[in-house]
Amino acid sequence: MQILTQLIFSGIALGMIYAVIAFGYQLTFATSDTLNFGQGDALMLGALVGLTLVTLGVNYWLMIPLVCLFGAVQGAVVERIGVRPAIKIKSEFGWIMSTIALGIIFKNVAENVWGRDDLKFPSPLPEAPIKFLNANVLPMEILVVVGAILMMLAVELFNRRSIYGKAVVATFNDRDAAKLMGINTGLVITFSYALSSLTAAFAGVLIAPLTLTGATMGAVLGLKAFAVAIIGGLTSGMGIILGGIILGIAETTTGFYLSTGYKDVPGLVLLLIVLAVRPAGLFGKTAIKKV
Amino acid sequence: MNTKIGRFLLALVGFAALLLFPIGIDNPYYIHLLETIMIYAILLFGLDIVVGYTGQVSLGHAGLFGLGAYTAGVLVYKLGAPLMVALIASIGVTALFGALLALPALRVTGPYLAMVTLAFGTIIQILINEMSFITEGPMGIKLTKPPLFGHKLDEREFYWLVVVMLVLSLVVVHRILRSHLGRAFEALRGSPVASDCMGVSVYRYKVYAFVISAGFAGLAGSLYAYSEQYISPNTYNFELTVLFLLAVIMGGRKSRIGAMLGATIIVLLPKLLDDVELFRYVSVALAVLVMVVAVVGVQMKRVTPKQMAIPVVGSIALAGLSFWLQTMTDWRLSIFGVIMLFVVYYLQDGIVGFVRNALNLRRPKARLEVEGAGIAPADAVATAAMAGGQPEVLQASGVLMQFGGLKALNNVALTVRRGTIHGLIGPNGSGKSTMMNVLTGIYVPTAGAISFGGRSLVGRTSSDIALSGIARTFQNVQLFGEMTAQQNVQVGLHHTFRSNLFDVAVHTPRYKRESAAAANRALGLLKFVGLEAFAAEEARNLPYGKQRLLEIARALALDPQLLLLDEPAAGLTAPDIKELIAIIRKIREHGVTVILIEHHMDVVMSMCDTVSVLDFGQKIAEGEPAAVQADAKVIEAYLGGQEAEPQPA
Repeated sequence: MQILTQLIFSGIALGMIYAVIAFGYQLTFATSDTLNFGQGDALMLGALVGLTLVTLGVNYWLMIPLVCLFGAVQGAVVERIGVRPAIKIKSEFGWIMSTIALGIIFKNVAENVWGRDDLKFPSPLPEAPIKFLNANVLPMEILVVVGAILMMLAVELFNRRSIYGKAVVATFNDRDAAKLMGINTGLVITFSYALSSLTAAFAGVLIAPLTLTGATMGAVLGLKAFAVAIIGGLTSGMGIILGGIILGIAETTTGFYLSTGYKDVPGLVLLLIVLAVRPAGLFGKTAIKKV
Repeated sequence: MNTKIGRFLLALVGFAALLLFPIGIDNPYYIHLLETIMIYAILLFGLDIVVGYTGQVSLGHAGLFGLGAYTAGVLVYKLGAPLMVALIASIGVTALFGALLALPALRVTGPYLAMVTLAFGTIIQILINEMSFITEGPMGIKLTKPPLFGHKLDEREFYWLVVVMLVLSLVVVHRILRSHLGRAFEALRGSPVASDCMGVSVYRYKVYAFVISAGFAGLAGSLYAYSEQYISPNTYNFELTVLFLLAVIMGGRKSRIGAMLGATIIVLLPKLLDDVELFRYVSVALAVLVMVVAVVGVQMKRVTPKQMAIPVVGSIALAGLSFWLQTMTDWRLSIFGVIMLFVVYYLQDGIVGFVRNALNLRRPKARLEVEGAGIAPADAVATAAMAGGQPEVLQASGVLMQFGGLKALNNVALTVRRGTIHGLIGPNGSGKSTMMNVLTGIYVPTAGAISFGGRSLVGRTSSDIALSGIARTFQNVQLFGEMTAQQNVQVGLHHTFRSNLFDVAVHTPRYKRESAAAANRALGLLKFVGLEAFAAEEARNLPYGKQRLLEIARALALDPQLLLLDEPAAGLTAPDIKELIAIIRKIREHGVTVILIEHHMDVVMSMCDTVSVLDFGQKIAEGEPAAVQADAKVIEAYLGGQEAEPQPA
């Protein structure tokens, strides 16, 4: 029982990371109907840049805003190079190919800059576990959960309360109408990509002390987070938190009871099943196609 | 005809050159290289069906390729299976897994599908890695070249086997794509809604395309296992799957030459990057080439200097980079990434498309299919089944269609008598097109009953309804733009085919008969609507009025009992409208019942036997044209009532 509780706790922490990445997918999908296939690589870059900053002697807490800034710039670059031109030339899957290409480039550059080996990220909090409900919880895991929720809340508040956020929501509802109302939808889309990569980079520095950091850490995380985004519905709401937690727990328990080699399987199978049963996501609304 | 013979001769020369290659050049390294290219080409033929023809993105083909390789590998390693068994089993197993993936995955499209197939590929790789009791895990499996008919093949003989397989695959793929199956694949990309309404179930044919594609991936995989003589899980990774996709797009979609070209590039490119010296030469040559193209292009005013700036600077930067870096191998993936971006932005139609464009060649014009049966019948419209059967062909009652709070159709009843032309009119937004969509299964009504020829339509799929005898045209024309007029009609004739994949692959007499009949009938239908001169023209190039007529011809190909025409006269000139009226009358003479939505009142009033009027989703009048025209409610709906009119309590 103790072990199970513990697995659930670390599952929740992991799940929150998925939720944050999935949140990033939602942000860009909402404004532009596209998403960044290199989202996992945005996370990886965030983690590695953070690691370099920490090694250079920057305080962990001070490093976070810097990494967020980096993430935002990186996201904007992806949008400008990979997404905007592809949408403009109306190529069917141009943006899929170009974001994949950028992801590959980022990963390869990271391999050449930081090396191919996984690196240890120093934990900013004490690494001694706290007893909670009879199970050991790492302080870092609590930080991950709190940080992730704060991040998502902040973005949601921004979208709902500020005039800039209203522009984002308007673009989401009807891109053409928003454009006609004088909203610079191009800028909104760039902004949503910046925000999306920012959350991913933030997730990267959150998760990094718990796992190892390396060029390959992003790809599978990004894919599984997509499963979470699907469960939550790509266009709506907070179902992703629940989806993330379900997946996170499924993964830690599979890893423990079956074999760590199989730990990625539940998420991927879940993705296949959810799409087969409810393509709009468990919490998403089915759109009616118009002819 | 000459070009056809020319192409055939060219293919023959190519085939002979491939066969003779290992005799001329005895270096096993080059033989193996060419062998790998051919194996990839087989896979790419299949991938092109999914990517090029149905327009879906698959990131799961490396996984399928691995499945094929491991099926062969495990069968040989554990059971000592002979070559033919291994090849066939690989095709079968991979196609089966392709179906397992496709059944859930192809309900979605675009980014969803890309992610799902990616997830599938990743699962396959994990399973191969973990299930060591079958696959030997990360250790991999060693194989030797297989014996065939008791004789152990050596490197060169196996090469010939691959050549034969390549040619077989080429022929089979070519035949599939030229058949009704290929037309279905292309149609569902051109317009999914129209495909469904022509009885070609989009979902089913997407799955079909994917399964066929998986079969080829399986074949390629098994050949690869023998060719490499060693298989391990890490080969079939994300990088490979992206490479396959890149090859299809870079070579050129919808082109077998493109697939072979793409295969060549993705096999040779890594070798090129391994050799820095060679890469330096090539990148300099490339930079010069790009510059020449840019200068010529700008002078001929085909491109602006601004457009060419990025490729020029990019290629020069690449050349510079190649001299700066000591070894390219580490940067291989980045270079792939850059090439992908380049292909997406500057080479969308692939190398084949680019060359065609540059030399001003058009796509090989889809030849008019006239083989076999003599002259097309002047009157190819089938007499409607059940003509003279029960008098009501369609009965709808209490139909309610609700979108959120909006009742697009509110308690509508409609009875259509067999053999009549039934007009459906009403102001814009009154629910006419919604009614059409409900009748053809595009929308499932919120409530109400609809029966057609005694069977309920509610809840049935569009393609099922179409096959039972309801054909339609669309308010916004939904043709398969990249297909010729004749092919558009042939898609409508899809239901006349009984041939299966095997018939298509070996061209059995049954397939030949059906194919010739369909081609001929399609010409006949085009003649019926006066479009025979445009048979070989791509639908998107036809003038608007002709497109509307083509839609009617395509709908008639379904041999419908009931034909729904959604504003057929919209955008037509006065003489065209006269022609249209004549055509609709002729259609009725064949016993086909017609429901006509139209805003041209003269058309409606002169032709219809009965007219129903909708307003705000409700039926406000019904009867003979003259009576309806005089109805006070109808006049009010069209011209507006008086403000002060007292509301009835």
